[in-house]
Amino acid sequence: MRTVLLASLRVHTRRYVAALLAVGLAVAFVVATDALSSAARSGLNAGVGAPYASADLVVGESYGMSVEDEERAGEVARGAGGSTATIGRAWEQLTSEDGRQLDAETSIGTVSTDQEFRWQEVVSGRAPTRDDEALVDERAATSRSIKVGDTLTIGSGSDVLEVTVVGVAAPASYLSAPVYVPWEALRELPGAQPDVVLVDAGASGADVEALTADLSSAVGTSVRPTAEFVDERRTQVNDGIDVVSYLVLVFAAVAAFVAVLVVANTFTILFAQRSRDLALLRAVGARRRQLLRAVRLEALLIGVLASTVGLVVGGLGGLGITAAVRAVAGPERIGAVSWSPGWWVAAFVGGVLVTVVASWWPTRSVVRISPLAALRPEEPTHAGSAVGRRRIALGVAVAALGAVPLGIGIATMHLWLAMLGCFATFVGVLVLGPVLVPAVIRLIGRGLGRSGAPARLAVDNAVRNPRRTAATTASLLVGVTLTATVLTVMATGRGAMEADMDQEHPVDLVLSSTTAASDTVLEKVAGTQGVEQAVGVPGTTASAGDLGEVAVLAPDDATSAATRDGGAALTVGADEVLVPSDAKGLGDVGIPERLTLKGPAGVVELTTRLVPSRFGGAFVVAPATLERLTPEPEMQAVWARAESGADADDLGGSLGLIAREGGLELTNQLDRRAWVDVQLDVLVGAVVGLLGIAVLIALAGIGNTLGLSVLERGRENALVRALGLTRGQLRRSLGVEGLLLAAAAGLLGTALGIGYAWAGVRTVIDVAVPDATMVVPYGQLALVVLVAAVAGLVACIVPARRAGRIAPAEGLVAD
Amino acid sequence: MNQTTSARPSPPSPSPAPEAAAAARGLSRTYGSGPTAVHALHEVDLDLPRGRFTAVMGRSGSGKSTLMHCLAGLDQPSAGTVTIAGTTITGLGDDDLTRFRRDHLGFVFQAFNLLPMLTARQNVLLPLELGGRRIDREVRARLDHVVEVLDLVDRLDHRPGELSGGQQQRVAIARALVSEPDLVFADEPTGNLDSETSAEVLGLLRRGVHELGQTVVMVTHELEAAAHADDVVVLADGRVREHLTSPDAETVTQALLGSALDGSALGVPVGGGTR
Repeated sequence: MRTVLLASLRVHTRRYVAALLAVGLAVAFVVATDALSSAARSGLNAGVGAPYASADLVVGESYGMSVEDEERAGEVARGAGGSTATIGRAWEQLTSEDGRQLDAETSIGTVSTDQEFRWQEVVSGRAPTRDDEALVDERAATSRSIKVGDTLTIGSGSDVLEVTVVGVAAPASYLSAPVYVPWEALRELPGAQPDVVLVDAGASGADVEALTADLSSAVGTSVRPTAEFVDERRTQVNDGIDVVSYLVLVFAAVAAFVAVLVVANTFTILFAQRSRDLALLRAVGARRRQLLRAVRLEALLIGVLASTVGLVVGGLGGLGITAAVRAVAGPERIGAVSWSPGWWVAAFVGGVLVTVVASWWPTRSVVRISPLAALRPEEPTHAGSAVGRRRIALGVAVAALGAVPLGIGIATMHLWLAMLGCFATFVGVLVLGPVLVPAVIRLIGRGLGRSGAPARLAVDNAVRNPRRTAATTASLLVGVTLTATVLTVMATGRGAMEADMDQEHPVDLVLSSTTAASDTVLEKVAGTQGVEQAVGVPGTTASAGDLGEVAVLAPDDATSAATRDGGAALTVGADEVLVPSDAKGLGDVGIPERLTLKGPAGVVELTTRLVPSRFGGAFVVAPATLERLTPEPEMQAVWARAESGADADDLGGSLGLIAREGGLELTNQLDRRAWVDVQLDVLVGAVVGLLGIAVLIALAGIGNTLGLSVLERGRENALVRALGLTRGQLRRSLGVEGLLLAAAAGLLGTALGIGYAWAGVRTVIDVAVPDATMVVPYGQLALVVLVAAVAGLVACIVPARRAGRIAPAEGLVAD
Repeated sequence: MNQTTSARPSPPSPSPAPEAAAAARGLSRTYGSGPTAVHALHEVDLDLPRGRFTAVMGRSGSGKSTLMHCLAGLDQPSAGTVTIAGTTITGLGDDDLTRFRRDHLGFVFQAFNLLPMLTARQNVLLPLELGGRRIDREVRARLDHVVEVLDLVDRLDHRPGELSGGQQQRVAIARALVSEPDLVFADEPTGNLDSETSAEVLGLLRRGVHELGQTVVMVTHELEAAAHADDVVVLADGRVREHLTSPDAETVTQALLGSALDGSALGVPVGGGTR
């Protein structure tokens, strides 16, 4: 049997290309993931220890510490003769000295003025020695054009920090930020958050244990030796990378599942085509078991070969991608690749298993081949057998069974149940594939069939073997369904979040102050590119008792119309005042139940209602109330609504300049919206990109099935060529066939995807945003179907060319 | 009548006879090159008269299938010309050749004749459909007539898998006749059939010639099959050995035997097999 096995492998290797490709791609995917995650790990790990290296003790947990603990830790440590440094962070607006908004919201890190605790490497200029000096990250300095000697404004509103840039720091892999300022300065900002306090025991080195005890009793957080703390941090960083790696492995699992479908289909077709050879072997004396062992060994060898190729390709690909990422993100972000043998072994074994498991069913059919089959003079090419009733019953039963947990999952918002239900119904659909897919193809083909004989032949060919058609499209169906589901859920989530955003941030950009704005400002804002609408909001300045001088706004109908929620957040009663949660002095005074506002013309006492800050820290009253405060309202603020698609940073920068010239402050709420948009875009892009590998494998499968069908139909193709089908028509016919297969999978997958997305929305998004409106991204989904169809067309280029090359006479005599 | 025309030596090639349905001049087909080259056809000159049923006979490897493939434009000859119904098809591009086949030729092959996924009716009308011809009343009348002659009326909506071998060949004949081609090529049309069914199929081909006015060229190695033909062309070693007009069985047998003796006596390598 070994001779037979080796010979058939040699002869049929080309026919196994798709199986090799499918398994190889999945294996390569896993190995490349290992390369990337190990590189990211070594990049981050290298930097984790540095900031803490000089300390004896670290006070604080991984999730930060309270301001009180930070202060107490400093007092205790200094009291014992040691020195301390606090590492912290704040998220603030960054503005250059000419009023250019550099970042709407960026991370501000800390740098110690004490050289001992400073971990940043200064590459030019010098390190800060005073609290009003800052260090700038080298990359940030380039991208935001910040120079040594520049003055930067950190924060917005009344609590701002002005610092002078004195040096440039080398990019860091850990705790990196565009700007570093001493903690002593940063702590003045309301949003500053201490992370840990580093303690150097100083001369009293022997008393570290005593100091640890003192600190532990003084603070409500943990005090640990540096090494212990760094170990924990490192584990956390690695865990974070591991989580991402495992998420990526989910997509590898999808790819492997698709590979199973492709491999199973390839083997089924190959064994069907070789049934005469196999029958001959049986006739000349091969036992069933011998035959079975031979074909299974063949599958095993294919699996080993594919997995080996996958390891090599994945290894090289991983190195290539890592190098590319390093070139883009910088060497400090991504270190050297270190291979983990575990991943390699798992990938290899997985690849072999996928092949063997996938070929199990097709090889079973080999046993059923009767030796008599070899004696039949001609193997008639069967027109597709009808789909058995048992299969239909089974498919319907599985789908119905899956509908139960799906329904319960949706009703109880139980994610795992719903997912189980989705999976089961999908399996049901796959089982029903031989009925569904040809039906869809006939539906599409009905229109095509009128365009001539080649298209009609294509439709007939595409549906002639329903099981093969279904098996071929199943792999693509998986990819398209998942993609459509993700796109629809994301679109719905985005829609829900946008509705939420409209309420939270009804005004995109606010220019306001306690002084009045001028018409010039309004004109300039309205004339700025990217501004859809700008309105002046009438108001005045009033004295609010202990809260001091405040801006009071009374939006009218015109201004309400410029908000994203149509003024819903501005609804205020006649004896009510909306107090923003970030109003100055609120923390010291507390919120009074009634508030007396003293305006230029009168005094009113109003009931307070605390609201999230939405209007640049201004108080909001009804127009009637404003009339009682002043007879001549002034333009107290300018509200701008951005055009859709306007860049939040650009707009912030331009309006920031206008605000500064007019003596106003800019509150940019658009950037939050933009940030969420970017996050969602990245997420959708990543998921669709990762699913791309599955779609790629599926297309290799379609190309392969068509290629094998072309081989199988060599005589038919020769016959129609003899009867008058031109070479071009034959190629076109095959092209249409590939198109039909892919389009059918695309349409069916999209329909299923929308259905599953609905289930997903009801179970996932409804938890966060009840009754979210389903948003179906028709454009994106149409693109998915189009891409699938075009890819199907591309997949049959090679088979079509091969079919066209056969001369009619050659094909007719080839046996 | 028992007239015998010996094969002419190739040059000088006379121009094709005007009444010929197909004519070959200096037709050669060589497979491979150098010392291993196989000459399947060697400078064949042949005129096939219109309205006749001609059988091409010869041993395996005599080049009869190659001759048919070249005459029918299914294969490109290495040298020489083929003229069918006044059109020289050698030198035509693949697309023109395909269109010519579609519009002027009909085919009946040995075994694989019908597309399995199409019904008998669809198979019969396939060449017309490929040519984009409308199935008008005239075509339908012709179809009805042919189908009736071939006794396929109640088989038209069956797929090939549901038809017997003889029925499948009858469908193929119907397809070859329905478009009224200038020439019908039949390549061992009875190769897979028992003698009774063979006789029936051959009789139908003959009726196609005599009742429907077609011209049929049939490649066969069976004497009984050749007996149904009007004329017999005997090939040996890629050359035309005899072109017998209305021969009797004995003449054909002798001609065949002669060719066989010749071939072995000369020790000429028997090339190609049945291509």
